[in-house]
Amino acid sequence: MFVPFLLAGCGSNATQEVAAGAPGVLVEDAWVRATTGAKDTTMTAAFMALTNPGDTDVKLTSATSPVAGVVQLHEMATQDGKMVMREKTGGVTVPAGSHAHLSPGGDHIMLMSLKHPLNPGDEVPLTLKFSDNTTHDLKVPVKAFTEEEEHYHPTPR
Amino acid sequence: MTTPTNGPSRRRVLGFGGVAATGVVAGATGVVAFGADRTTVQPPARAVSPYGTHQAGIALGAPASAELVAFKLTTDRAGLGRLMRLWTNDIVALADGRPAPGDTAPELAVANKGLTVTVGFGPRVFDLTGQRPAGLDDLPAMRHDRLEAGWSGGDLLVMVGADDAVSVVHAVRRLVADAKPFATPVWRQTGFWDSTGPNGEPVTGRNLFGQVDGTGNPAFGTPEFDRTVWSADGPDWFRDGTTLVVRRIRMNLDTWDELTRSEQERAVGRKLSTGAPLTGTAEHDDLDLEARDADGRPVIAQNAHARLSHHSENDGRRIFRKGLNYVHDTGATRESGLIFLSHQADIAGQFLPLLTRLDAVDALNEWTTTIGSAVFALPPGFRPGEWLGQKLLS
Repeated sequence: MFVPFLLAGCGSNATQEVAAGAPGVLVEDAWVRATTGAKDTTMTAAFMALTNPGDTDVKLTSATSPVAGVVQLHEMATQDGKMVMREKTGGVTVPAGSHAHLSPGGDHIMLMSLKHPLNPGDEVPLTLKFSDNTTHDLKVPVKAFTEEEEHYHPTPR
Repeated sequence: MTTPTNGPSRRRVLGFGGVAATGVVAGATGVVAFGADRTTVQPPARAVSPYGTHQAGIALGAPASAELVAFKLTTDRAGLGRLMRLWTNDIVALADGRPAPGDTAPELAVANKGLTVTVGFGPRVFDLTGQRPAGLDDLPAMRHDRLEAGWSGGDLLVMVGADDAVSVVHAVRRLVADAKPFATPVWRQTGFWDSTGPNGEPVTGRNLFGQVDGTGNPAFGTPEFDRTVWSADGPDWFRDGTTLVVRRIRMNLDTWDELTRSEQERAVGRKLSTGAPLTGTAEHDDLDLEARDADGRPVIAQNAHARLSHHSENDGRRIFRKGLNYVHDTGATRESGLIFLSHQADIAGQFLPLLTRLDAVDALNEWTTTIGSAVFALPPGFRPGEWLGQKLLS
């Protein structure tokens, strides 16, 4: 489930919003880029804001979705002076009392070998697994996105 | 699940700019006293929760800055449902000052701007869905109307209001972008309203004729308001919804400015200085429709706008209306007017009789011309986990 309208954009009051015990990571504003009109309709990416209200770092370690044959955590990195997209093997760290933003041009969840096209307004089931052994089952809305595709979603070479 | 951000300690049932009494405005209005007699109201932090029984922007005063966009639907019933889910996500994020998912200009999302988004369905939507609310039909053209297609009709409406125009245009840009696979804009109208007095106190506000405009509204939070605005019968999905009439009224400031002050006041039946009826001394004094002057003529003229629109003269029918002033510049030419917004449970039962009566004899018709007209059914509000129009479209 989403917890929308929970945080006023920064983590300053995050800890006091959550009751004692293992709070787990909060997921907000998740979305998946539509494949409608894309050059390669077999892959896309999911983006979201992750908030860790606890006092120890937590890692997003993996994700799965029934709409995709392969799901990987990816990062954008500079390699030999060029931006490249590559698998982020260690997972995505959500620092204690802070956020990690999965966004175009940054870390993201790559959905590959899609089983069908994703249209704006569809909802994609997505399961996130974290290093604290929690899982989140999401239904993530699909949205069209105007930014040029290659920017975060390079054509494989 | 965790509760929304505004805890009881920060919540105050204290509004600003005419938004009191609904309890949806969270924030702090600080009243700071200087010496014995000088008081300044600090601008409050304003976040309006997007959640509630009703859509959040309706039972509030007119926003300082607003834009309305009407769309033609290019999708089917299922597609409209998908758009409503996307818009609901956008609205929740934007109301909290967070960028909408996929926002290409995320820094323009700023919290505490009193941002509200209101969504409505035009009559043609119900050809797709059925369950049309009673009385939701395009208004017939009135004798004084000069309706232009470019300002009229629409299958879908989104209205964004906020304390600042930058927040408004940013939210509209996101909502229009996310609607692109489903709907195309057919008209857009931008307006503004000042409901704050010189010391920061809430006031009714004035149109560009200088008239205090909106005095006769039912008060927020009263049974009268609820009866006037919210649908209590009709299709189940529409319970706690309302309708909205949008009329673009061109105002001829040049000929209005030729009138003497007393002629201007006679046309409305109210004093320009305070908005008080010509038979009273304060804005909210009741109209004395029987009062006569020394020559035996009614003090509030038979064709005065305030008389003709008063509920006692309309079988008790009431509306809840808001105005947005507009200017429309084309090169060196400026057109001025009012985007007239009227909420009522039933357009045919409440608004149309009033409109017909005003069209027949209202003194103001000489200086005003309606050039756009549209009607929408506004679905009820939504709670966390729900989406706009879910009962109609799921």
